[in-house]
Amino acid sequence: MRNKSVVNEAREIQIAVDLIELGARLQLLQEETALSRERLLRLYKEVKGESPSKGMLPYSTDWFMSWLPNIHSSLFMGVHQYLVKNAGVSGVEALIKSYRLYLEQVRISMGEPELSITRAWFLIRFFDAKMMQMTECKECGGQFVVHTNELCAEYSCGICRPPSRAGKTRKAAQAEAQLA
Amino acid sequence: MNTQQVHEEIKETNLSYMLLAQQMIRDDKPAAIFRLGVSEELADLIVGLSPAQLLKMASSNMLLCRFRFDERLLLNLITDYNKDRMMSQAHAAILMAGQPAEVMAI
Repeated sequence: MRNKSVVNEAREIQIAVDLIELGARLQLLQEETALSRERLLRLYKEVKGESPSKGMLPYSTDWFMSWLPNIHSSLFMGVHQYLVKNAGVSGVEALIKSYRLYLEQVRISMGEPELSITRAWFLIRFFDAKMMQMTECKECGGQFVVHTNELCAEYSCGICRPPSRAGKTRKAAQAEAQLA
Repeated sequence: MNTQQVHEEIKETNLSYMLLAQQMIRDDKPAAIFRLGVSEELADLIVGLSPAQLLKMASSNMLLCRFRFDERLLLNLITDYNKDRMMSQAHAAILMAGQPAEVMAI
């Protein structure tokens, strides 16, 4: 079903440009806009100045469960659900708006963004497919991403109860060594 | 601070709060709804206020904005402060996003 309206096409191109600037992969653009693959490729090269990366998309649900990714995903999903519920946005618009707000929050408080827009998009799809859900942390009352039907009657989040090695990466050690 | 001074301060805070809120809603409504923590209905109402109405509202002797933290949240922020400041801000953001928006009672 090809869209013949010029106004619609302009809107789709704007959406595609926004998504490319936020780092989206080509497959995501193909799903979310009605533009042809050739046009998207050209657009991608024009915006980014390079060809899109090839290969499979990161489709695993387990990635969202490890410590830092879980905190980032929970933050993003919290923003997304808030916007969908209260601001009357949906679909790709909600994705762009909530991802921008997530990036802003991360830059203020957590350093580097951990969640790419492609993963964020997958996360929303996993929620739609009921493969993942939010659960409440028993200690702080915040909402966190978990697998559907996971045993989480006594769930504590990664911030209230960080695992013992959490955040002790080589990168963090180097940063600390530089400070000292 | 005497009562007169307090009233002046409140008036000023109210006015800048309302002006900022209006500006934010005009610039980017969905983002403003998230940042202000209000419903879409309330956002529409705020943005529709005329300058005269705004001044009238602002000159009240009560603050128009209030704390968005319930006690557990506030406690968390304070106790987390020494642990890891970066993470406590992220924590606060997750908790804030999970809170319901301020709506108008009908």
